[in-house]
Amino acid sequence: MTDRVNQILQKFDAHIVESVTQTLDKVKALTDLTQDEKLDLAKNLCELFFHAHHTSSTLMPKLAVTTGKRIAKFGPEMIPFLIDEVMEADGESAVYFGKALSRFGVRGLDYTLARLNDCKDQDHDLINLMQVLSYFKIPETANAIPTILAQAQHPNHQVTAMALYTVGRLTQKLQTSAFSESTRSAMFDHIFRFLSGVQGLVRKNAARTLGKMLRRGLLSHENEKKLYNAFLSITGRDEHHNWDRAFIVRREAEDFLPYFHAETAPVKLYTQSFKILSKRLLCTNTYHFTIDAPLIARKIEAGQFLIVRPHIFSERIPLSVCGWNREKGSVSIIVSAVGKTTTEINTMGVGDAFQDVVGPLGERSIIPADAGTCVVIGGGYGTGAIIPTAKDLKALGCKVIGIVGARSEDSLIMIPELKQACDEVVVTTNDGSQGIKGFVTDALREVLHRENVTYVLAVGPVPMMKAVSEMTRPANITTYVSLNAIMVDGTGMCGACRVTVGGETKFACFHGPDFDGHKVDFENLMKRQKMFVKEEKLAFERMK
Amino acid sequence: MMPQVTTLSNKERTKLPHQEMPLRPAESRVLNFDEVPVGYSNDQALSESLRCLHCKKPACVGACPVGIDIPGFIRLIEEGDPAAAAKKIRETNFLPAVCGRVCPQDKQCQAVCVVGRKNIPVGIGNLERYAADYERTNGTLEIPVIQEPTGKRVAIIGSGPAGLSAAYELTIRGHEVVVFEASHRAGGVLVYGIPRFRLPLRIIDEDVRFLTRLGVRFVYNMVIGKVLTLEDLLHQEGFDAVMIGTGAGLPRMLNVPGSNANGVYSANEYLTRIYLMEANHFPKYSTPVSSGKKVAVIGAGNTAMDVLRTAKRLGAEPTCYYRRSHDEAPARSEELKHAEQEAIGWRWLSNPVEFIVDENNFVKQIKCERMELSEPDETGRRKPLPTGNFFVEDCDTVVMSLGCSVNPIIPSTDAEIRTNKWGVITVDSNTCQTSKKGVFAAGDAITGGSTVILAMGQAKKAAAAMHEYLVGKPVSASFEVLNGVPATVS
Ligand SMILES: Cc1cc2nc3c(=O)[nH]c(=O)nc-3n(C[C@H](O)[C@H](O)[C@H](O)COP(=O)(O)OP(=O)(O)OC[C@H]3O[C@@H](n4cnc5c(N)ncnc54)[C@H](O)[C@@H]3O)c2cc1C
Ligand SMILES: Cc1cc2nc3c(=O)[nH]c(=O)nc-3n(C[C@H](O)[C@H](O)[C@H](O)COP(=O)(O)OP(=O)(O)OC[C@H]3O[C@@H](n4cnc5c(N)ncnc54)[C@H](O)[C@@H]3O)c2cc1C
Ligand code: SF4
Ligand code: FES
Repeated sequence: MTDRVNQILQKFDAHIVESVTQTLDKVKALTDLTQDEKLDLAKNLCELFFHAHHTSSTLMPKLAVTTGKRIAKFGPEMIPFLIDEVMEADGESAVYFGKALSRFGVRGLDYTLARLNDCKDQDHDLINLMQVLSYFKIPETANAIPTILAQAQHPNHQVTAMALYTVGRLTQKLQTSAFSESTRSAMFDHIFRFLSGVQGLVRKNAARTLGKMLRRGLLSHENEKKLYNAFLSITGRDEHHNWDRAFIVRREAEDFLPYFHAETAPVKLYTQSFKILSKRLLCTNTYHFTIDAPLIARKIEAGQFLIVRPHIFSERIPLSVCGWNREKGSVSIIVSAVGKTTTEINTMGVGDAFQDVVGPLGERSIIPADAGTCVVIGGGYGTGAIIPTAKDLKALGCKVIGIVGARSEDSLIMIPELKQACDEVVVTTNDGSQGIKGFVTDALREVLHRENVTYVLAVGPVPMMKAVSEMTRPANITTYVSLNAIMVDGTGMCGACRVTVGGETKFACFHGPDFDGHKVDFENLMKRQKMFVKEEKLAFERMK
Repeated sequence: MMPQVTTLSNKERTKLPHQEMPLRPAESRVLNFDEVPVGYSNDQALSESLRCLHCKKPACVGACPVGIDIPGFIRLIEEGDPAAAAKKIRETNFLPAVCGRVCPQDKQCQAVCVVGRKNIPVGIGNLERYAADYERTNGTLEIPVIQEPTGKRVAIIGSGPAGLSAAYELTIRGHEVVVFEASHRAGGVLVYGIPRFRLPLRIIDEDVRFLTRLGVRFVYNMVIGKVLTLEDLLHQEGFDAVMIGTGAGLPRMLNVPGSNANGVYSANEYLTRIYLMEANHFPKYSTPVSSGKKVAVIGAGNTAMDVLRTAKRLGAEPTCYYRRSHDEAPARSEELKHAEQEAIGWRWLSNPVEFIVDENNFVKQIKCERMELSEPDETGRRKPLPTGNFFVEDCDTVVMSLGCSVNPIIPSTDAEIRTNKWGVITVDSNTCQTSKKGVFAAGDAITGGSTVILAMGQAKKAAAAMHEYLVGKPVSASFEVLNGVPATVS
């Protein structure tokens, strides 16, 4: 051993994190290593592979991987050495050898395969070599699958199980394009037979590998059906009710059942993907989304809302629905970014999915018993939210007049859609850039003057709903407002959404959200909406 | 291992010292949400198990709502086989790790334990927890025998203790079970109410995972009554029977001036924000909870103790306001004791009459009337009476913990489901069947609020009746109302 190597290795202790990091740094600094020096270093360093799992340090396993990387840098001459070592390894240390060897790419792969073909009867070696193979990520590894599967015929069921396991890992790791059509079906046929193997472990690994093929979309329609029936039988869901004796096998099959396509799987799973199907910019910071939620779409009615949680760290926030398609199973929402969660939603795109969507929540909008002249008033997202009710009123035979308020022309949204649902739409802007200059109440005053209005619905900012209610109070015109109280669950469980209506406490989420505007305590609502202003500001700032 | 047959006489057994549950020290435990009781060591469990006299007619078993074979499982611990002890408990109770931690043993099994007549009763709950924890950490949990599939499908609404145990009972009888849960997590109160320092999340998660392994399917974000009605489940989705286990989730609020002020929460909201939505990790998790420095908690039940101790862990100075005295506090005695150790303020015989707000509608003070207790009436209960004396104290957060009523969403969307005047779903006392054929109910939904174990007991009863209903045996036709009593308000 040369001096410089000796010096380094004397201080190397595979049990101590600091020693390992220091040694690795020193090794990294060495240049022009001779063949012998490399071997000496590698022999000593890979001692770490055998210890990494037995320390309580969480750093050790990572260091072992780094060590593998370093050894790999010594060049392909290391391959035979590593392969020899791996034969001595236990299952856990073989992982690190595998990771190290996978860094040699095709050469490592070829050499490992060659050795695999050589060792016919050493079961332990076979198992370790297969485990090594499972760490290769290059597409060429797919070509090795027939060789690995050939090992599955081995009389020792441990070898069989490892072969199936290895193929499973490769199925998960490799690009799907690495698997040709013929490889896919050959794999399936080969592995499928092991579902009726004698050993539970073999059946389990077969089920898992086939499940992974399913999940990665590697199965033909026909094979998917075949696998589905097999999994039904394993879990005792078919007509024979003879399920697999081994719980580990049942669990595998159970876990993969949700991944079968709807056409294959007649079992209803009630899954809604909550994926965004379309996204459209309405005005600055405001988007229109359609979301895949077939169960909700089947039931939702005008005036109801959803509670959404975009990702696992988010708040649950209520959003009104501005339309739906019962056949396609989609619902539409409008989101204006006012704080953290709404801003986060607006950064989501088509194909992204919400973590949770609950609905339909709240009662549907109350509409009058008899047809008459009705006014629906919207501001902000409310312009969309009033559309479903406008359609209902129209269907009832009412004359429906829409009034929309916005700051200026560029913040007007959903006008064409609203026009379709109403007989007439009056636009107001604060700056007069379109329609009447002023507020919705200016338009409402004019409409009340010329029409015999019997019903008013207002959805939007609280001051607007308040002003509308004040205006209709003298003539006692039935007026509903949709209260946007702060909510958590949306089902009546928490009481966050308490509002005062006619002197009584009501829960906006399930007594409402629509209430008689003449009875609502708007002051209290406005103050309660500001309950978390400090926290909201903080959250929003931290986000940027 | 050969069971070691212990030959202690009863006399020797009664002389053995009771093993206290080791607790983390109050000063450090209030700094985080880690579990407070650390659990018996093997030696402690063994010593405590030796205190059981193995009565011929064990009173404890009769006082257990699900009739766990208590001396039986304690004997197995004594014999050094906690895994078998856990298995024994599981014969009757499917959530031993939960119940060992949250059951009011001081009012049930331990209240009647004969050892307790002269001495401290056997620590049954602690031993139950020990066996369950042993099973979990050593992975000895076995898959139960599951009957041949019957081809019947059952929908269970709600995944609280009632829903989970019914799911278990029906699955092992061979029925296909789907659990519909309104929230995004399974466990009901166990996840959104009971704090992590009493019941770590991993325990309930593991029980749920165990059920999924047995084939129970959980569907989240499904508010039954809204997205699917009972009618839909029975007639469109092909379920043969339904069980309602939706709990009592509608918080009661005091109707006094200032009740709707900012900073006034129901216990449900406060605990949900923290435990379901992780507001204690705000702003990493976006849900806020504006828990201030001085938190006034109204009520003295289990929930109030949970709120007090939670507020303490968020760095506040919590104070409990209760209109009766310490001795009438409905909380489990252990919870009360633990809360008392944690430097919390107590205002007994104080009835809040107003929450005083600032100009922005934020609470700043609480006004209470001092109360006194009447002489015991014929039921022995002492009523709080007003004295006309008032006092005012500063606070910036108020949490009302006054119990819950039953959520009306399901009854209001199905005319056939009858409720009593408190909104509690009425069921047949023998079968837990509601007034709608094929629909059963259990848990807080039929009691208006009780305990985990009672909810489980009812769910087991309901599951047994559902099984008979499903396999075609007649279900008792009489419709006799079980529950005419309102839930007690703390
Ligand atoms: C029934 C109902 C229907 C709604 N429909 C829509 C809609 O269709 N489109 C839309 O863009 N917005 C809608 N909102 C408002 C929307 O829920 C809030 O803008 C959103 O919650 C803000 O969250 P944030 O994190 O982005 O902002 P934050 O900075 O957290 O809050 C901004 C303001 O929004 C309100 N708010 C915050 N959290 C909540 C909460 N959990 N629940 C209710 N309000 C809250 C508060 O008043 C707060 O001051 C609706 C609200 C309700 C109650
Ligand atoms: C803070 C707190 C502390 C407590 N401490 C203790 C204790 O220490 N010991 C003890 O024994 N008991 C305790 N209890 C009481 C105990 O938790 C309850 O008695 C028990 O959880 C009731 O169980 P359940 O299954 O009936 O209902 P819950 O646990 O309330 O579960 C009901 C479930 O149904 C869901 N749901 C509701 N409506 C619908 C719907 N329409 N569709 C679908 N799903 C729906 C809910 O989201 C919930 O998950 C405590 C309660 C609270 C609130
Ligand atoms: S009553 Fe007490 S002593 Fe008797 S069996 Fe039960 S736990 Fe043991
Ligand atoms: S949002 Fe929780 S009760 Fe309304």
